[in-house]
Amino acid sequence: MHGRVKLKSTAQQEEEKRKEKEKKLKIYLTTRDACFNKRKEGVLDEEALQLSQQLLASNPDFATLWNYRREILLYLETVRSEDEVQRLYEEELNFLETCLKMNPKSYGSWHHRGWVSSRLPRPDWARELGLCDRYLYHDDRNFHCWDYRRLVVKMSGVPIEQELQFTDRLIGSNFSNYSSWHYRSTLLPLLAPGSAESSSPQRECSSPTSSPQMHSHRVCEERLLKEYELVQNAFFTDPNDQSAWFYYRWLLGRAEREEMISCVYVSREGERVVVAFSRPVNALSVGFLLVVDGQPLQVDWRSAHSCVRHSPVWICELPPGTISDTSNEHNLTVTWTEKRTHRDCALYSGRAESWCRDSATDLELFRSELSVEKSSVLQSELQSCTQLLELEPQNKWCLLTIILLMRALDPLAYEKETLAHFQILKEVDSMRSSYYSDLCSKFMIENTILKMEYAEVRVFSLCDKSLSTLCHLDQLLLVTHINLSSNQLLRLPPQFAMLQCLEVLQADNNIIEDLEGLRHLPRLEEVSLRNNRLSRLSDLRPLTTCPKLTRLDLRGNPIAQATSIRSELADMLPSATDLLL
Amino acid sequence: MGTPIKDVVLRPDAPKTLLLDKHADYIAAYGSKKDDYEYALSEYLRMSGIYWGLTVMDLMGQLHRMNKDEIIEFVRSCQHECGGISASLGHDPHLLYTLSAVQILTLYDSVSVLDIDRVVEYVKSLQQDDGSFTGDKWGEIDTRFSFCAVATLALLGKLEEINLNKAVEFVLSCMNFDGGFGCRPGSESHAGQIYCCTGFLSITGNLHQVNADLLGWWLCERQLPSGGLNGRPEKLPDVCYSWWVLASLKIIGRIHWIDKSKLRTFILACQDEETGGFADRPGDMVDPFHTLFGVAGLSLLGDEQIKAVNPVLCMPEDVLQRIGLRPEIAS
Ligand SMILES: [Zn+2]
Repeated sequence: MHGRVKLKSTAQQEEEKRKEKEKKLKIYLTTRDACFNKRKEGVLDEEALQLSQQLLASNPDFATLWNYRREILLYLETVRSEDEVQRLYEEELNFLETCLKMNPKSYGSWHHRGWVSSRLPRPDWARELGLCDRYLYHDDRNFHCWDYRRLVVKMSGVPIEQELQFTDRLIGSNFSNYSSWHYRSTLLPLLAPGSAESSSPQRECSSPTSSPQMHSHRVCEERLLKEYELVQNAFFTDPNDQSAWFYYRWLLGRAEREEMISCVYVSREGERVVVAFSRPVNALSVGFLLVVDGQPLQVDWRSAHSCVRHSPVWICELPPGTISDTSNEHNLTVTWTEKRTHRDCALYSGRAESWCRDSATDLELFRSELSVEKSSVLQSELQSCTQLLELEPQNKWCLLTIILLMRALDPLAYEKETLAHFQILKEVDSMRSSYYSDLCSKFMIENTILKMEYAEVRVFSLCDKSLSTLCHLDQLLLVTHINLSSNQLLRLPPQFAMLQCLEVLQADNNIIEDLEGLRHLPRLEEVSLRNNRLSRLSDLRPLTTCPKLTRLDLRGNPIAQATSIRSELADMLPSATDLLL
Repeated sequence: MGTPIKDVVLRPDAPKTLLLDKHADYIAAYGSKKDDYEYALSEYLRMSGIYWGLTVMDLMGQLHRMNKDEIIEFVRSCQHECGGISASLGHDPHLLYTLSAVQILTLYDSVSVLDIDRVVEYVKSLQQDDGSFTGDKWGEIDTRFSFCAVATLALLGKLEEINLNKAVEFVLSCMNFDGGFGCRPGSESHAGQIYCCTGFLSITGNLHQVNADLLGWWLCERQLPSGGLNGRPEKLPDVCYSWWVLASLKIIGRIHWIDKSKLRTFILACQDEETGGFADRPGDMVDPFHTLFGVAGLSLLGDEQIKAVNPVLCMPEDVLQRIGLRPEIAS
C-alpha cells in the first residue's frame, strides 16, 4: 500500500492484467484453502510447510501461516533427531532470507526469524549478526533489522564497544543516519563508570527511569568529549543534517528535577491548604499525608485543574473549625511518604494566611533545558557553534542550539541575543514559527521568574513580552496580582487555575478567545480583558465558578457589542456589579 | 556537500478541494470487489480494513451506505474460543484485530454481540510480567499492542482489569533520547509508535510523563517543504504519517506547531480525482487505509465538512461521547 505509483495503461493492457490476476487469484485461493484444510484436520507435516511457504513467499504478512509453521516445527521437534531438527530450522532460516529479500520490512518475517533463532539446537549468532550487517549496509534505516540486531546482541553478549564501533562505521560512511545516532544514545549510558553490569548489553531497560531520555548525565565525561567531537564533525560537514543536531541536543543533556514538595500554602479563609509539587502527581494514588498540630487529617484532595489526573497543584479544605480561630497558632506538615520528603508550614496567630516555599530551586529548575555539569565545556561548545553560524548565518539548527547553550550558561546575561536569534529563526523556518514563539515565551517567563524579587511572589508582571503561551504556572501559586497585558495569548489554559491566590488579573491587549483556566479561583475579584477576542457569552462561563468576582472589563471585545449583553451578564455573573463594556 | 531533503513536489494541477462524494463512492464500492486478487491478499487484515472503511464513512456522514447486519455478523463470527478476534474466518486471533472489531461494534453500538468477558480475559492473558503485551500467544512484543490492549478495554469500560502500573512502566521504558517512542526498549522513535504510546498514555491518564516540548519539536520537524509529514527523519512524506504525527501533536497539546494550511494542501493533493480515495503520496494508488487517515487528518485540521475525530482512538467524537469515553488531551 506504500509507494505504488499509479500507471496509465491501455484497455488491452488492462484486459491482460485482469486475466493474469484472475489466474493468480485462483492459485492463491486453492493453496490457501489447502493450507487451512490441513490445519483444520490437525495435519502437521512437511507438505504443509511447503504449501504455506508458497503463500508466504509473496505475502509474508499472512501472520496465521507463520503460526501454522511454528505449530508444525514444534511438533517435528518432538519426533525428529536433533540433527534433523537443526536442519529443519536452518532451512527455515534460508526460506526467511528469501522472504526478507522480497520484503525487508515485514513484521512477521523478522519476528519468525527471532523465534527460529531461539529454537535452533545449535544457534549461529555470528551468522545472524552478519545478516544484520548486510541488511543495514543496504538500508541503514530499517528499524526491523535494527531491532533484530538488538535481539542478537542481547542473546549472544556482543560487547557494547563493538556495537559502538559498528555505528562509527555507519556514521563514517553517512553522517545523515538517524538510526545510528539513536543506537549510540542507548549504548553510551551503558558505558558509564561505576555500574557493574555496564560492559554487558544484556542489561534490560526495565524501569522507566533507565530510559536514555532521562539518563543523559550518566555518560562519563571523557566519553562525552569524544562524542562532541564526533557530532561536531558531522554538523560541520553537513550543517543541515538534522540527525546530528537532534543527537547533539540530547548529548548536551537536560537536568532532572528533584522530586519534592515545592510549596505549602494555608489560608484561614475557607480553611484551605494548597500544595505544589515539583512534578505532576496524582494525589489520589500517591501516598501523601497532612498533619495539623500533630493530628493526621483525613481530607479530600482535588487537583487545581480537574481535567487531568496528574497535576502539580492539589487543594483541600480542612474540617470546619480546624484553623478558623485567628487567635490560635497552627503547625502543618505535608509528607510525601513515597519520596520520604515533607514540608512544614506555620500559621501564626493573627495571620490570615501563610506559606512555605522552596526558593533555591529556581536556578536549577530553569536551566534544565541543558545541563552539563561543567560550564567550561558548554562555553567551548558555544564557541564552535558560533563559528559555524558565521559560515551558515541562516542555519536554523545552529541558531536553536546556540540559544539552548546560552540559556544553559547564563539565561539572563544572554537574553538579548537569545531574542534576536529567535527572531531570525522565525523568519528562516516560518513553518515552525509557533514552536519558536512558544519556546521563546517559555524562556521569557523563566527569566522573569529568575529575576523575581521577594515581593514579586505576590505581584507579578509578564506584560509586553510577546508571549504566545503560558507555562510554569505552578510556580505562581502565591501570586495575588498578575499582569499579562500586551502579549499574543490566545487563551488562559486550564493550568491557569493553579493561581489559587489570584485576586486581580490584567490581560488586556491579547487575542484571548478562551477563558478555560479562570475556574474555581476563590479569591479572584477583578478581571480586565480589554481588547481581546471574546465573542460569545459561553466563553465567559468559567467565570461563574469564581464567587468573588466583582469587576469585569470587557471593553474592546466583540462580545461587548452584542445586544442585551449587559443584562445577560448580570444574570450569569450576579456578583460582578462593576461591568465595563 | 549537503544531503538533499527527501520530499515530493506538488503538481500545480493537484486537487485542491475535498472530493467527499468520490471518497464515499470509492469506499462503498471497495467491499464489493471480493474476487479481486489484491483484495484476497489483504484478507489477513480484513477486520482492520472494515474498521478503516466504516470509520471514514461515519466521519463523512455516510455510514448508512455500509451493510450493517452483514458486518456485525462477520465480526461476531470471528471471535474465537479464547475470546480474541481474528482478521477473518480461518485466521488466528490477534490484538490488532480484536481492537478493530471492538471499534467497529462501538460505531454500530453493538458490542454486546461479542462475549465481552472473554475479550477481556484474552487481553489480560497477553500481558507479560514486565507489563508489556504480546500481540497473540506467539510472543511478539510491541508498544502497538500495549495501545491495542488499553484501547480495547477502554472502549469496553474494563480498563482496570489489567495491571495498569506495569503497563505504563513498560511503555515509558520505550521512551528515547528524542522524547519519542519505539516498539520495544531501545527501538528507534517512529511516528506510528509515538501515536500508539501517546495514545496509550492518554487513555491511562499519564500524559504528564511525556516531555511534550521535546517530543513536540521532533514531531513538528516531520513537516517537509511540501507540507506533508514524514514518520522519521530523512523519510518521504505520507498521508498516514501525517495522521500519526498530527494526532500525537494534538494529544500532547502542540498541534499548532506545524503549518496547518500547508499540510491541508498536501493531504488534498493525495486524492485521486478519478477513482476517489487517498494515496500515501500524490500520484500513487489509493487504498482505504490512507483514505481514512487523509479524511481524519483533515478533520483534526478543522475541516467542517467532516465530523470531529478523536485523535486517540481515531473514531468520531460523537461515538465516544455516546459511550462516555474521554481520553486525556494535554494543553
Ligand atoms: Zn502511509
